[in-house]
Amino acid sequence: MSAQPQSGQERVKAAPKPRQPEKRGAGGIASQFGSWLDRRIPPEARVLLTQRNIFIFPTRTAVAFAVLLLLLMMGAINYQNSLIYGVAFLLGSLFLVTILHTFRNLSGLTLELLDSRPGYVGDDIEFNLRISRGAGKARHGIQVGWPQSIKQWVEMQDQDVVAVKLFSTGRERGWYNPGRLLVETRYPLGLLRAWTWVDLNARALVYPKPEFTELPDPVQGQRDDGQLVDHQGSDDFSALRDYQPGDPVKHILWRRYARSDDLVLKEYSGFVEPRAWFEYERASGNVEQRLSILTGWVLQAKQRDQEFGLRLPGRVIEPGLGEAHAAIALEALALFGTSD
Amino acid sequence: MALNASKTLSGVDYQIPRNVLALLMLAQVVVVLPHVAQLSPWIVGVCLFCGYWRAMVYQGRWAYPPGFVKALLVIAAVAGTALSGKGAFSVETASSLLVLAFALKLIEMKTRRDAYLVIFLSYFVIATEFLFSQSMGVAIYEVLACVMVTAAMIGLNQLQTNVRPLASLRLAGALLGQALPLTLVLFLFFPRIAPLWNVPLASGATSGISDRVTPGDIADLAQSDEIAFRVVFDGAVPQPEDMYWRGVVYNEFSEGTWSEGKPGRRVRSDLLVPEHDRGEAISYRVLQEPTFASYLFALATPVVADRNIELRSNFTLLADNPLMSMMHYDVKSYPDFRRELGQERPRLASMPVGDDNPRVREWAARVGRETGSPSEFADRILDEIRNRFVYTLKPPRLPRENSIDAFWFDTSTGFCSHFAGAFVYMMRAAGYEARMVGGYQGGEQNPISKHVVVRQYDAHAWAEVWTQGSGWVRVDPTAAVAPERIRRGLNAALTEEDRSSLSAFTNARLGGYGGIDELMFMFDSVQHGWNMWVVGYDTDLQMEYLTGLFGERPSAMQIGIAILLGGLGSLAVAGVVLFLRRPARPRDPLVNAFFRFAGAAEARGLVREPWESPMAFVRRVSVHHQLPQNDVDAAIAGLEQQLYAGQPKSTADNGAKARKALLRTLRRLRWRTTLRA
Repeated sequence: MSAQPQSGQERVKAAPKPRQPEKRGAGGIASQFGSWLDRRIPPEARVLLTQRNIFIFPTRTAVAFAVLLLLLMMGAINYQNSLIYGVAFLLGSLFLVTILHTFRNLSGLTLELLDSRPGYVGDDIEFNLRISRGAGKARHGIQVGWPQSIKQWVEMQDQDVVAVKLFSTGRERGWYNPGRLLVETRYPLGLLRAWTWVDLNARALVYPKPEFTELPDPVQGQRDDGQLVDHQGSDDFSALRDYQPGDPVKHILWRRYARSDDLVLKEYSGFVEPRAWFEYERASGNVEQRLSILTGWVLQAKQRDQEFGLRLPGRVIEPGLGEAHAAIALEALALFGTSD
Repeated sequence: MALNASKTLSGVDYQIPRNVLALLMLAQVVVVLPHVAQLSPWIVGVCLFCGYWRAMVYQGRWAYPPGFVKALLVIAAVAGTALSGKGAFSVETASSLLVLAFALKLIEMKTRRDAYLVIFLSYFVIATEFLFSQSMGVAIYEVLACVMVTAAMIGLNQLQTNVRPLASLRLAGALLGQALPLTLVLFLFFPRIAPLWNVPLASGATSGISDRVTPGDIADLAQSDEIAFRVVFDGAVPQPEDMYWRGVVYNEFSEGTWSEGKPGRRVRSDLLVPEHDRGEAISYRVLQEPTFASYLFALATPVVADRNIELRSNFTLLADNPLMSMMHYDVKSYPDFRRELGQERPRLASMPVGDDNPRVREWAARVGRETGSPSEFADRILDEIRNRFVYTLKPPRLPRENSIDAFWFDTSTGFCSHFAGAFVYMMRAAGYEARMVGGYQGGEQNPISKHVVVRQYDAHAWAEVWTQGSGWVRVDPTAAVAPERIRRGLNAALTEEDRSSLSAFTNARLGGYGGIDELMFMFDSVQHGWNMWVVGYDTDLQMEYLTGLFGERPSAMQIGIAILLGGLGSLAVAGVVLFLRRPARPRDPLVNAFFRFAGAAEARGLVREPWESPMAFVRRVSVHHQLPQNDVDAAIAGLEQQLYAGQPKSTADNGAKARKALLRTLRRLRWRTTLRA
């Protein structure tokens, strides 16, 4: 799998790729539930919520509501009061009608994973979802999120489609799958909870956690074409020359122009450091520590616009520059040693 | 659209949305308002205080009260309720406690859980109000209160910034409306159960006729135009002067007050009123408003079949439990039946008259000797009353001691209970068996629904004298002084001065102001229907109705099926509203065609991206599926014009052409993919 860099932003297009079934503990109710859920709501990039995949059950508030109904019925019976019976019946019927309303609040929604943004281990990884409701009623009070992460409220009153950003903490490098997404609602009365666990095949690339150390000394003798001079660079002042159209305006020596009407340019030279090679062997520590150090180097090189190459056991990335190059290097680091 | 991060629905950081809070507080006011009549003023004060504090918190000016203030308030509230309840735990005490809990919760309502507690309490307070009044007006008011409370509950489940109180109110109304079919079916079919425990909380205050009478009490009742009961006669309605609704028999007199004394024993009605010499019967159904007392009212010599009603040896009816709600009972009355003394005799004979009122006793003894028979003596008293006395609602106050002396010789003015009391006293002083009876006299027939309405101002007191051969005979001394009162009701007997002491509304009711009369009768008819079929819908009526409906006693199965159908009815209404009603957005035919096209393309794996214009999407699909270009071009041109030209009218022809082209493309698309498959 390769990342598709889009205009400098590294975004991973959600690929509707069948995922290998996750390793689950053998036996156990949780795993049985998981495989049942996989059959019931198979992983898909786009899920339409229907009666097939929506669950609904009374909440704890509904238990209190039931106690209220019981008390009302007892009052009605003991005082033989028709109108108190009426109140109890009305509230009981209200509960029944609410079942349909709560279900309807989720039913007909389409959830779709658009893309994700790579991050580093320990970061909150961003996923972009699109929820559309098609025709029909407004939706209220829907919560979307992975368990153990921050939930987002979704309300659709005037719009048919909303974009939702979700975050989930990446704990290991490599392809990160945050698991099944919980979509739930208690609207309108909070007496019932309708929910579903959808698997949108969400995945994001998680880079190793960078460790910032000194860049390694340039390796001598590998290639001898270092010491490039970039005349349009901007590091050190080297000479004065006449202005030519196309030269950067900020380098014009304006003081001189004020005195003499000559447009004179200060010329700077940037000395680009020699291409660096970041090598797995030259980082110290165990595998993960080394990858962290390498990630730190890549990031620093990217920051300084330094050309670099990456040499990992089994994979060599030729020197290059720019965001896209860095993304390829980071991906290689993220996926190092994984089956992907 | 609004998206906020918030931890969980039930998390601690949840804040009740401000406009939900406002709605909830308003709902609380609406819910408590009808209770104010039953509440002591200090409780209303506590409510206002808590409400004010909460409003200040709402505005961010004050903080929530500290713990000790809350503790103090709770202790004060409980102590205050205990003190003002005078030790007895009545319905009023319970309602006071409920309202206080409600008010105190207000000042510490922070979390979602608190809000739910307040909401459920609100529903409870709404139901409690029906213990005090079950009129249709109150019922409608409480349904509206339910809508408000439900709306607050809806707001609790929405994103805080998105709560729109009006929309919530609308939805709450819709929810309750959709719940109605099932509610109706449950109301009709759900089996009514006998009380679980026998003595429900009684009320501290009874209304109407009570177990003791001090002359003057009944004059107070005359101030009230509240309905005591309604009567539906099977046959002709008796003349007003024959309608003496007996309720309580007063046997004992001391210190100016008549009381029931030892209540008469319960007797089986077939023993007390043997079938063979009952005579002609009058059949009717009484719909008794709640009085919080057990007395029931009926014409002389009633027989009832109801197991919860007893006939006592003094021929009055008594309910097993105080009337906490509307009650109806069917009575057959036998006015010609001769009521004998039975076991009452020894008690009456041994009843001392007492040694007060020496002047009246002396007078009675003297005149009693002169006349010789109870009826002659009674006539002498009535003559005296007719000639010397004045009937008024506002008689001068009588002293506690020797009150009858003062009435008979000094003030000579009084109301029905003065006359009846003095009459019975004198009969007894002369050695005859006599007793005072309290109840109502007369009643007004509603010309629309033909039932008779008896109001509190029809309250009356009269006497019964026992004579050899005739049994207990009714003697009404008031008829001697104010015959109009008996024949034409209270209004006819009132003086100008009396009338000025009554409320404007009572006066209007009594005076009969033309058109208002008509309206009032109409209103009363509706109220009567409500009482008959809704408030009075109890086990008996339910059995009657269901047997009529099914042609036999309904089985549990039939009731179950009926309730199931009701549930389905409610769900069907909700379902139609939720799933079938499409948004009323008339779409252009071309736009419609586009959506059909988009749907078909989507079914074949090409999804329109959010940034993609309809034109771009049609183009992409056509390229992907190699659809004929000329139709696609026409469709795209038409769509472009439709969407951006802004003159749909002038381009109607183009639109139709473009639509046809688009639909052709759609057919082609289906055809292509079917072939490929």
